[in-house]
This record gives sequence, structure tokens and C-alpha cells, in this order.
Amino acid sequence: MRVPPFTLHTPTSIEEAMDTAGTLQADGKEFDWIAGGTDLLPNYKWHLNTQKDVISLASIKEMKTLSPTHIGAMVKLHDLVEDANSHPLLRQTAGNIASVLIRRQGTVGGNICLDTRCFWFNQSEEWRRSIEWCHKCDCDTGADCRVIPNQNTLCVATYQADLAPALMCLNASIHLISPSGQRTMLLNEFFELDGMKRNVLEDGEIVSHLTLPDDAADWHGKYEKLCLRESWDFPEAGVAVSWKGAGNELQGLRVATTGCESIPVFHQEQAEDALKNWQGKDSIKALGQAIKKEVKPVNNTYFPPAYRRKMLPVLVKRAIAPLFEE
Amino acid sequence: MTKKVDFSKTRSDGKRVAGQQDFGVPGSGGSDPMSGLQDIEHIPKSIGGQKSQPRGPHVHDRHITGTSIGKPTPLIDANWKITGQAKYGDDIRLPGELIAKILRSPHHHALVKNIDTSAAEALTGVVSVATGADSVNRFGVLPVTKDEHAMAQDKVRHIGDLVACVAAVNEETAIEALSLIKVEYEVLDSIHDMEEGLEDSEHPIHDRGKYHIGESNVQKRVFQQFGNLSGMENAAASSEADWTFAGVHHGFTEPHAVVAHWDPSGRLTVYSPQQVPHYLHRALSSVLDIPMHQINVHRTFVGGGFGGKSDPFPHEMCAAILARKSGHPVRICFDREEVYWINRGRHPSRIQMGVFADDEGRISGIETDALIDGGAFASFGHVTTYYNGVLHTSPYEIGGFHYTGARVWTNKPASGAMRGHGAVNSRCAVEVGIDAVSEQLGVDPMTFRLANLLPPHSRTITGFRITSTGMRECLAKVREQSGWDEKFRKMPFGRGIGVGCGFFISGSGLPIHWDPENFPHATVHLQCDMDGGVTVHTGAAEIGQGSDTAVAQAVSEVLALPLDMIRVRSKESDTSPVDLGSYSSRVTFMNANAAIRAAIDLRDKILKATWELTGYHPDQLVLGDRRVYYKHDPAIGVSWLQACHKAQADSGSLIATGSYRTPPMGGVHKGAAAGLAPAYSFSAYVAEVEVDAETGFVKVVKAWAAHDCGKALNPLAVEGQIIGSCHMGMGQVLSEEMKYGRGGNLLNPDLLDYKILSVHEMPEVIPIIVESNDPEGPFGAKEAGEGPLLPILPAVCNAVYDAIGIRPNELPLTPDRVHKLIEKKCKVMGIDEPMDLPNPSFTPSPLQDIIAQRADDHAQRDLERDLLKDRSSYVNGVLFGFDPDRPLSEQDEGWREAITPTQEDLVDDNKRAAKAWKHVERRYRGDA
Repeated sequence: MRVPPFTLHTPTSIEEAMDTAGTLQADGKEFDWIAGGTDLLPNYKWHLNTQKDVISLASIKEMKTLSPTHIGAMVKLHDLVEDANSHPLLRQTAGNIASVLIRRQGTVGGNICLDTRCFWFNQSEEWRRSIEWCHKCDCDTGADCRVIPNQNTLCVATYQADLAPALMCLNASIHLISPSGQRTMLLNEFFELDGMKRNVLEDGEIVSHLTLPDDAADWHGKYEKLCLRESWDFPEAGVAVSWKGAGNELQGLRVATTGCESIPVFHQEQAEDALKNWQGKDSIKALGQAIKKEVKPVNNTYFPPAYRRKMLPVLVKRAIAPLFEE
Repeated sequence: MTKKVDFSKTRSDGKRVAGQQDFGVPGSGGSDPMSGLQDIEHIPKSIGGQKSQPRGPHVHDRHITGTSIGKPTPLIDANWKITGQAKYGDDIRLPGELIAKILRSPHHHALVKNIDTSAAEALTGVVSVATGADSVNRFGVLPVTKDEHAMAQDKVRHIGDLVACVAAVNEETAIEALSLIKVEYEVLDSIHDMEEGLEDSEHPIHDRGKYHIGESNVQKRVFQQFGNLSGMENAAASSEADWTFAGVHHGFTEPHAVVAHWDPSGRLTVYSPQQVPHYLHRALSSVLDIPMHQINVHRTFVGGGFGGKSDPFPHEMCAAILARKSGHPVRICFDREEVYWINRGRHPSRIQMGVFADDEGRISGIETDALIDGGAFASFGHVTTYYNGVLHTSPYEIGGFHYTGARVWTNKPASGAMRGHGAVNSRCAVEVGIDAVSEQLGVDPMTFRLANLLPPHSRTITGFRITSTGMRECLAKVREQSGWDEKFRKMPFGRGIGVGCGFFISGSGLPIHWDPENFPHATVHLQCDMDGGVTVHTGAAEIGQGSDTAVAQAVSEVLALPLDMIRVRSKESDTSPVDLGSYSSRVTFMNANAAIRAAIDLRDKILKATWELTGYHPDQLVLGDRRVYYKHDPAIGVSWLQACHKAQADSGSLIATGSYRTPPMGGVHKGAAAGLAPAYSFSAYVAEVEVDAETGFVKVVKAWAAHDCGKALNPLAVEGQIIGSCHMGMGQVLSEEMKYGRGGNLLNPDLLDYKILSVHEMPEVIPIIVESNDPEGPFGAKEAGEGPLLPILPAVCNAVYDAIGIRPNELPLTPDRVHKLIEKKCKVMGIDEPMDLPNPSFTPSPLQDIIAQRADDHAQRDLERDLLKDRSSYVNGVLFGFDPDRPLSEQDEGWREAITPTQEDLVDDNKRAAKAWKHVERRYRGDA
């Protein structure tokens, strides 16, 4: 298996990166961004939607800034885990990602923008030929989705990155930059429900950094990940919960999930309902059930979807358990 | 009469004697009379040493010099591996090599109508292209089921089946060329469920001609009925479970790779990480139509085999064909999914297992129906079909044995042999059944097992000869060390402990490709030259299990030479005597036995030379650390080198040879040879688990693993095999499975989604070595490579029951499966929260004391038989009151020994494999 040849561009500043992107766009060339490469390169080896040009962000120093409220997109996951000043929820969540080797290579931005995954997609070219391709990588055949046949409008590949729900629970904002300018939004507005489009990023646009609101330090939280092995595995379902205040004096509650749909989901309504009629553990039970009701995993990852859904109330309960221990 | 020996070659004035070359450089056992003597602590008491022998003396005792046997020894090839200098399959680089890639079928089952390779051949950089037309001869690991070709002849049988191959100057060009080959297929209906394979089909996956079973996809069927089956009908306790076992893969590190080269003298050399180089040698000869002497099979270092590299493979044929066509060396290295497509992993199986016990706590019968999914080719399947039954006729004495087995072809990658071949799944089912029966009888499962063991020197119900058995000691040790009596049914809900036993062949009594009447199973040649080192020529395939080390240790022990004076040459068929390969755990037993004989032969020559030099008769001479000396005065003797030189001076060369063949044994019924072995290993494990009842996660906390390997030639290697087996077996019981999606596609041909346990999931394993001192094993040794895998599966399953009161019957126990069982039980019991499920408890019945007494009596019985104080014959059945010296069928009218079923045996429509017997072979139908 070989990575198809591509031209690697290595800008050293965001400005230069935008120039490179602009030039390629002007020439009508499609290209990919590469951060740590732990997601992109295996996909390239499998010949999944490869491009002839790839722009590396690895040499851009300004994207590596890390402070309690500012996380550059090119911050290595391992550095986030090791940084004592970073938010404990982020450190704990990042520490659950893949393995140390991958965390030393993978980046925060790359994790946020992780490509969606599916049993029918993350396979070698020969394998996919045997199913006559699929919607997400149809090799110009207009192939149907293999998970839910007879619909080729939506890709249902699963978003299996860990960091997003934790960042959502800290109310993080995401900052994007493109040759035509900059924009900022809440992270939960960044994702777009489709396994192919995945998020709002336009061609040539990148994530430059994330910021946390000043009160982030007042929020506590925990991330619970469902996966068969403690190392390597992507989340089959993941729940992040954060809260402000303690015990009966609960002032805020946020819940987000990952690994259940094509995007991570911020469960604002359910969390607000729980907070409104806060009755401790009973509220948590109801919250877990409400979230289970809201997400609709499909059969394209290791565990069956019914099991992944059923585990959500358990994960919610376990993620919020420290609240009752305080 | 004693001759005075002149040890020095120096004159009294200190100068060297003219014309005499001194070979005795330091370290080579030169002329230092003060080299170390025998290690008395490793010399058995029977020959005057200090090593205790609780199970009596052994025939090899007098060859023990206290040098290396029984001492923890790092493998002699370990430094090559850890310094990265070992050359594995894909490390072989020959000048002018071409890289080959294989075009594989994108269809499950299709006729190949036409292949057009012209565009590929025209591509710059492509040197040769081959298709099925280049190789029409069939091959297969078993002579009775040769059903493979290098590439598809008329049809493809699974996704990934080989269609064509291309050799080009580099990999990119070869890959590009594959895309230029045009293949026309006519897609046929495919079969994915093994039960469909039992039915007649319009297009059976293979055609066996007159031997075809009906028009079905049944490749092999077995029926065996032994004993009195009425004990099953009138059982006091019974457990009948319907098991589903997912297929698992070996998951070795090194993907398959091969280099083939026709050298300038016109001979073919094939470099391959093969477990069984000799069968590859034979297959190459018949596929390429050239005599075997024109082929040199070079086994490279093997990066893990576990059974997955023991077939001759089509890609090995492809490389040879392309090398012949192109005139260049050709190298092929698999991608990981190609490894899964060639597979040969453990069969997906559906096993209906009945275990029955009578009111005296005896196992009155075992009834097994095993349907196994062979995938697209036969591979070792013929044997696997037998092993699923016959390998659970021990370690217990049973009243009746009823086995029906069937292996079907499906359009999947072929299943084959994998560590614990054929025994693992049914063993798991039996041991869980025994736990269930013990519970019904109100007895402790540990005691129940101890009260039903076959003794040493006995015969199983189907006629296997048990020589040594350490089963009882294994159980006793794990019981004590795990704290069984304090933990069983006494731990809080969610935490449990379980026991499982195992039984495995130590070498196959009947070799696959061989006539045991005429040829030995293993042969070892020794060669010693002026330097005093001994070169061992053996064909035994070192696959990481330590066979090179074992054979070196055997030679080193007999000759009292340090291991660094022994050089093992085991890689090439040109220089090695034939060895049947590393399968069925045969290498230590057979090859080390051959090595001991060769070393004795060499030693006798050395002793004769020493006799000439010293005047002391060989009976009075002893070997110890590079010296040969008079046993009553170590100062009188010669160095190893002096003796070597004398022996060479006398006879011109110092070479020796030894071989091993199995003794005659076993029954005479068809299939009697399956599972027959010169010795058997036994093991008992206890596993402690935690089950998260809310999520279904099972975590093994600790395992105590006692294995009877007869005698640990190298305790370090035995412990490594036990721990490694636990890891592999735990993978199968907890997480590993080949998952097939809708439409029959293998969903996880990669190491991310084929879930091998990581270091986090691997618990502490306490390896416990039990030495039963096998009378025919080399220094008493038996196998330790496969048997240690078996008990961990049932031990974990039984521990899960102890933890949450649920008996699983589907592997692997992934959290979703366990959660489903928990949910179901909650629903049945009307419980909302899984944590509120009842914790299983144990109240002993009056039978407990009775069987505990029987176990104690049997312990005494076994000890006497071990020490040969009791030499009476013992056959399975004595526990049920039979006289072992008269045919059992004469003593009981109900006693049956049948290998074909009657109509009555097939009435139960729920039995799966039994359906295979409803077909009539074509030759008996009169329409073939």
C-alpha cells in the first residue's frame, strides 16, 4: 500500500499559508490541509479522496500558542495533556485519545476536524472496489450509501473525535481564517450535519485557534469514553459533562456527545431542562434518557448502534459522578 | 591399565614443541583442566546428583550433564531480533529484484470468463504477468484435500481470491499494472452463513467429483460414537448449550512475504517465513512440475506464525512462477488486509455441547455437534473437523462420547490451523458445561474435575494413549495459589473467579505427508570440526517458539558444551534433514528427541577417543564443561578439543545423526489417527474477572496458569509461551473477531478494528510450570506452545458466571454481547437495575464430600501409577466399573463404537452438523 504522490507545501506563517491556498485556488487546484497527519495520511494510504497538493501547517509557529484560554490549532495533543495550566477537562479528554505515540503527533485542530469514519469507507481501495464504492468516496460513480442504502443525499459516517464535546462544554469559540478573511463562532455552531461536509469550513479555510471564555476555570467536568480498549480506539460514544457550582447549588450544566452521529452534539435543551428542575441524581437519570432519545447512531462502527445508545445514560451518569462526590 | 596423558604441548623449558599447532585458544575448552565441573544441582538424584525427582527417574537421566536443561535460557536467536539484524521475509534483498503485486477478486463467488493482460504487459516497467493459465496444478497442505491453485482457474471463491499477478521494477508500477488487467466475471450466488453450506447448492464452491457430499458445500463430516450413551439419557445433571464462536485470526506481526529466485544453475530458491518449509517444498515441486532436488526452501526468520504460516500459499507459487517467467528474483510482501484474505485463522463455529453427569458425580457423557465454517478452501480443515470432537475426550473419564462434526465451504477467506488447532472452541464449551453440571449437582467445580480425571498410563475412550499427566497437580496448584476456596462464589456481585482445563497433543502421531512406517518424524545431524564447536543441522522451523534453542540445549546438555559452542543451521532445505515443520506442537518432543539421539551418537565417538587417550573405559568417563574426565578423579581427563581432534584423527570426520519416530499406538477405526500423539499436555487455569454490569465490560484482573509441559527444558521459554497464550486466548474470549458485514464483506481486515488486547487489558498472569516427567519426552518434556491457550477461555467464561450469574454462549464476550445477556436476565427476573441482579452462591450438597473423597483416593492412585508401583492397565471406563483387561463391548451390551451414524442418530432436526450426514456421496448415488 502506498501513499499516492502529492506536492507538499510548507508555509511558515498563516499569511503565507493563505497565499499558497489562494494561489492553488486561482489555478483551479484542489488541495488538502495537513496538521499532524495521523488522520490524513492513513486515509491517503487507503486512497480516500486524495489530492495532488497538500499544505502542511507544521511550520507555522503562531498556531502553536497554548494558554489557559487560547489553544492554537497546531498544539500537539500530548502537550495539551501535559500542560498544567490547561483546563483539567481538556487535559483529561485529550489523555483519552488514541495512544501516546499518536498524541505526540496529532494536533488539537486536526482532532476537531477529524474526518468522519465508517466501516464501509475506512478501507483499502481494493476492499472498496468489492462493494462498488460508497457515497463518501464514490470515485465518480455516484455510488449509494452502504450503511443506509437507497439514499445518496446524506453521508452518515460517524464523527469519532474526543476533544469536541469537552470544548463545547467549556463554551469554546473557534476561530477560522481563509484567504478572504477571518470569522469566529461557538464551537457547537462549527459542525454541519453531513458526514462529508462535516463542518462550516470553506475551501481554503482553516482553524487557527480556539478560545475559552474567561469563566471556563469555574466549570468542572469529565469526559467518559466508550471503547473496547483503553488505548488506540476511537470513541464508539463519548459524553462530556461540565458543571458550575456544586451539589444543590448547581448554577450551570452542559452536556455534549461524540461518536454517535456525523457531528458532535451539544445537548443544550436537555441540559437546561435538567438544571431547571434540578433534583440531583434523578435529574441525571432523566437527562441520560433524554440524550439517548436525541442521538441516532447508525451501524457503521465497531459496536452496534443500539448498544451505543443504551450506554449514553450510563456515560452521562459516570461523567457527572464527581459532582456528587464533591 | 592407565596411560599417562601429556596435557601440555610445551617443553619443560616452557617453549612450544616444534611442529605442533595448538588449537586450544582460551574459551574454546582448550587445555585448561580446571574448567567447571558438572552442575550437581541440575543432575537428577537417580544418577547421583541433587535434583529431586518426585515422579521418579527418566530414561534420559543418564544423559544429563547439568549444562543447560531446566535452566532459564534466553533464546539463542534473540540478539538477532532485538538488534534488528534478523532477516524476515521482506528483508531479503537480491540483486535485480522485481516487486510483484497480486490482483484479487472483488467478488465473493464468480466465474472468471476472460482475463486480458495485454495492457498491463505493455506498461513500461512491467516485466512479467501471470494468471491461472500459468499454473494449473493443484496443491494444498493435506494430500487428501488439495483444492488450491496459484491463481484462479475457472472461478474465484472469495473476495481477495488470487486472479493474476504482475512483476515490475517497482511497487508503483506493479500496482498500476494491476489496474490495467481486465477481468470478465460472471457473478454467482454466494454463501456466507455456514448453515447454508449444509444445503444442496446449484454451484457448490468446490467440486469433489465422486467424493462430493450430495450437492452441498460440506467439505468434511465426522461421526464418532463411543461408550454407553444411555448415561446421557438418564443423567442426574445436564447442561446443553448452543455456542457461537466468531472466527479469529492469528494477528502475527509480520505480514506474509516471499522472495523467489531461479539461480544461475537453474535451481529455485524460495525465501519465506514458513512454519512448515517441507510442505512448501513439496507443493512447489508439484505446482511448478520440477523435482524437489531442484528447489531450496529457505525459511527466513518468522515474525509470528501461530498456525497462520503453515500452509503452502498461493502467493509463494506466484512469486516462483513470476521469477521463472521473468528471470529475476521476485519479492512479494502483503498488505495487512491481504493477510486477512489469506487468513487460515480459527474457524467460526457453532457448537451444540451437552455435558451429562450421573448421581455419583461422574461425567456420564459428552455430546457434541460442531459445525465449522471453513471458508473457501480446505486447508487443514479435514483435521480440524476431527479435533473439534476428539480433543475433548480427555482429561476426564467419560461414560459416553457422541460427536458429530461438519466443515462447510463458504465464500469467505479460508479458515485453517491456529494455536490450539480445533480444540479451543469445543474445549471452552465442555469446560463451561462442566461448571454448569457441577452447579446443578451442588459440588465445587474444582473438586468435580479432580474426581473425574484419567490417571497416568491410561487410555481415553477413543483409544488415545495417555502416558504422563500433571492435570491433578495443575488443578491443585491453581486452586491454592488463586485462593480458590476463599473466593469461589464468595466475592461481591460483579467480581468472579473461574476455572478451566485443557488437553492438547504433543506432536501429531501420524504425520500428514509421510509414511511413518518408513521414515522418521524428525532427524538431526551433528557435525563437529577442528574448532570443537558443534553444528546442528535440523529442519525444525524456528518460528519464535524457541525450537533452535531447544535443539541446541538438548545437544549442549548431552555433550556438556556451553550453548555458544552449538550452532544451529535450520533454515535451508539444501542443508537440513527433512523435518515436518512447526505445527501440532511437535517440535520440542520430536526434534529434541532426535537431537538427543544424535548427541549420544557423537558423545560415544568422543568417549571412544578419550578411552584411547586416557585408557579409561567410556563407562567410567564423564562429560563436564568442555572436558571429558575420569569420574572418580576429575583431574584425569582430556579437554573436549583434545578428544575431538583424536576422534577426527581416528575416523577422518566427526559427524553423527539421530532421528525420532512415534511408537505404534491408537485404535483402528477410521479417524483413529486424528488427535493421536505420543504424549499430551495438560493445563488448568483460574481467572479472576470484574464485570461491569451496567456496560457489560469484562476485565480479567489476574490469571493463574498451570501447565504440565512434562519437563521445562527452558523455563523462561515455557513461561513466555504460557503468558503469550493467555494474551492470545484472552483476545479470543474478550474482543477478537473477524466481523462480516451485510453482504458478507469482512469489515475489519486491519489492526485497529481487529481488536487485539492492548497492554492495558492484559492482566498479571502467574505462570506455573508443572513437570509430569513424560517417559518418552526428551528429558521428560512435552509441548508448551498451544495447550496453554485452551483453558483461559472457559476460565474467563466461568468467572463471568461467578461474577454476575450469567453463562455466556457466544464469543467474544464484547461488552455489547454481555450487556444484551444482562438486559435479558433483568427482563426475565423483572429487575430494573443490573446491579440488583442476584449474586450466585454455593451450598454444597452431600455429594461434595463423596467426590472430595474420591478425588483424594484418585490422587493416591495416580501417584502409584506415576511411580510405576501400580502397573495395571487402565482404560476410560474403569471409573464406571469396567474391567480394563477385557474389551468393553463384551462387558456391556449397550457399548458402542461407531463412526457412521444410523438414521436414529440423525432424528434431531435441531442438530446442525448432523445434517451433513443426510447427504449421500455422489459415488454411492450411482449418478456420478
